Amino acid sequence: MMLRRPRRQWRSRLRPIDAVASGASGLRGRKGRTLLTAVGIAIGIASMIGVLGISASSKADLIAEIDQLGTNLLQVQGGTTIFGEGASLQEEAPAMVRRITPVTSAAAISKLDTDVQRNEFTDERNGLDVLAVEIHLIDTLEGQLAHGRFLDRATSQLPTVVLGSVAADRLGLTDLTGGPTVQIAGRTFAVIGILDPLPLNPDIDRSALIGTPAAIEFLDAEIHPTAILLRAEPDHVEAVRAVLPRTVNPADPNEVAVSRPSDALEARARVDENLRNLLVGLGAVALVVGGVGIANVMIISVLERRGEIGLRRALGATRTHIASQFVLESALLAAIGGLFGAVMGAMVTYGYATRQGWRIDLPAEALGAGIGAALVFGALAGLYPAVRAARLDPADAVRPRG
Amino acid sequence: MTQEPRGGQNLVGDTVLELVDVTKQYPGNPPVRAVDRVSLHVSEGELLAIVGPSGSGKSTLMNLIGTLDRPDAGRLSIEGVDTASMSDAALAGLRARRIGFVFQQFHLMENLSAVANVATGLLYQGTLGKVRRKRATETCRRVGLGHRLHHTAAQLSGGERQRVAIARAIVSDPAIVLADEPTGNLDSRTSNEIVALLRQLNDEGSTILVITHDRDLAASFPRRIALNDGLVADDDSRPLLDSGADRS
Repeated sequence: MMLRRPRRQWRSRLRPIDAVASGASGLRGRKGRTLLTAVGIAIGIASMIGVLGISASSKADLIAEIDQLGTNLLQVQGGTTIFGEGASLQEEAPAMVRRITPVTSAAAISKLDTDVQRNEFTDERNGLDVLAVEIHLIDTLEGQLAHGRFLDRATSQLPTVVLGSVAADRLGLTDLTGGPTVQIAGRTFAVIGILDPLPLNPDIDRSALIGTPAAIEFLDAEIHPTAILLRAEPDHVEAVRAVLPRTVNPADPNEVAVSRPSDALEARARVDENLRNLLVGLGAVALVVGGVGIANVMIISVLERRGEIGLRRALGATRTHIASQFVLESALLAAIGGLFGAVMGAMVTYGYATRQGWRIDLPAEALGAGIGAALVFGALAGLYPAVRAARLDPADAVRPRG
Repeated sequence: MTQEPRGGQNLVGDTVLELVDVTKQYPGNPPVRAVDRVSLHVSEGELLAIVGPSGSGKSTLMNLIGTLDRPDAGRLSIEGVDTASMSDAALAGLRARRIGFVFQQFHLMENLSAVANVATGLLYQGTLGKVRRKRATETCRRVGLGHRLHHTAAQLSGGERQRVAIARAIVSDPAIVLADEPTGNLDSRTSNEIVALLRQLNDEGSTILVITHDRDLAASFPRRIALNDGLVADDDSRPLLDSGADRS
């Protein structure tokens, strides 16, 4: 008889929706295994999203804090001479700084060579400094008092002291009930105020502040300003910063160190970023391990389902159909894990940020990228098992196995 | 060529399947010729059995006819189309549309219902899901499963499972149905029911080729081809006496 060419309409076709359904059918039949395998991916995604969410929330909080504290606070210090000795500022330096037009306020601080004790019976080292300060320091710092009040023109001439938050804590004072006193260089000073924490000036948190006149009067101190704190108009901070060394010490401008305390906080945010990248990397490792888990399970699945693969080939599935079924199954499996992981990561972020009192910042792109990464990993993990399934000899696959 | 419906004993249809000196051998020392120069001609509407003892090459022959495997030599054509020149994907398309398989171990998807299992017979034709279900439901009724449509395969008896498998094989209206030991896993009463069903479907026009080791079962079919050591030992196409046919 005459032989004919294969008919065109004899092509094998699988609708995309049926391809997805075929992929899902393999998961439906093995629910327990599906869940366990998805857990691996879920952990990877959850840790990545959790890390991103927590660090974003922490950063958002830090940035809000920096915004609130302002970035226009500058600190001038004597720095070091070229011989490595500590240089102090000239006495007229504070006045010269105040003469710079965009400087809105400035206050000098002189570190005294003495210490502060709770009473005359102890002389333990507590790491606290005693600073002679000008009364408008509180305005320059934009600081708040937790208790009492700051030094004023009158009290700065009396043996009174205002404690930084850490200093008060170390001296065992929580408030001013009972009119507490402390000992500075053997003299009794009345505590009239306790400062709130100053995130930009942790040094002042650890100090006892007395008025400059009182320091001269009661401690016989010689006053050499060790630092000047100043606020400049926000738009001119850099310009002020540039002229400060020459203003403070025209002879040796190189011996003057100018710093911006908010830079330290910004540096902290950058350090957090490094740590975050490391943790995200660890999450990615978990994701890879999860992907390997999926690949393993899919290979076992291919071995177990020889009969099904043979049947599908007999029903008209091409090798591509078989391969796509397993890739889709693997990708779906990972997507389930990814979804779980995203929810878990979001919950961890929410819980942690709430506990820390941070604002919650969960980047939407992190959620999307997490689920997307899971899908890609799943599909990649399914590739090898899928090729194995597609290469099965259909005649062999339908053969009864004993 | 006749237009009227053809029963099992009216072998006058178009050629569905033609084998000319088809040979398949497996590597070994010496190589094993599982199928040795088999020539065979099957017309539309035939019901025939390929019978032979275990190891006679009948399963290999079924895989060759079903295009799950390719012959090493000889020519195999289905509905006049030579399969040798066809790509793997084209053969898959041929299986999807022109060949129905019934396996001894049923090969059902256990968590799917009877209708859903039958509908997979149309899956690789790209038929719409709704149409698949409708045709699967009709076919289930045709094989006597109207009362078990929505039971899962796992809930069905052996005979019912084989009915599902047969329905799946015929749902796409193939040119030929290949049944490999369709009663191999069934008790004798259920076997008889399945054979009766195959005869009924053949009376309704299906071309059915049954592969079996069971000589009694083969004897109940109008045409029997005996296979031995890969060779056709006998091709008995004589119409059976009624008494013979009734043995099933």
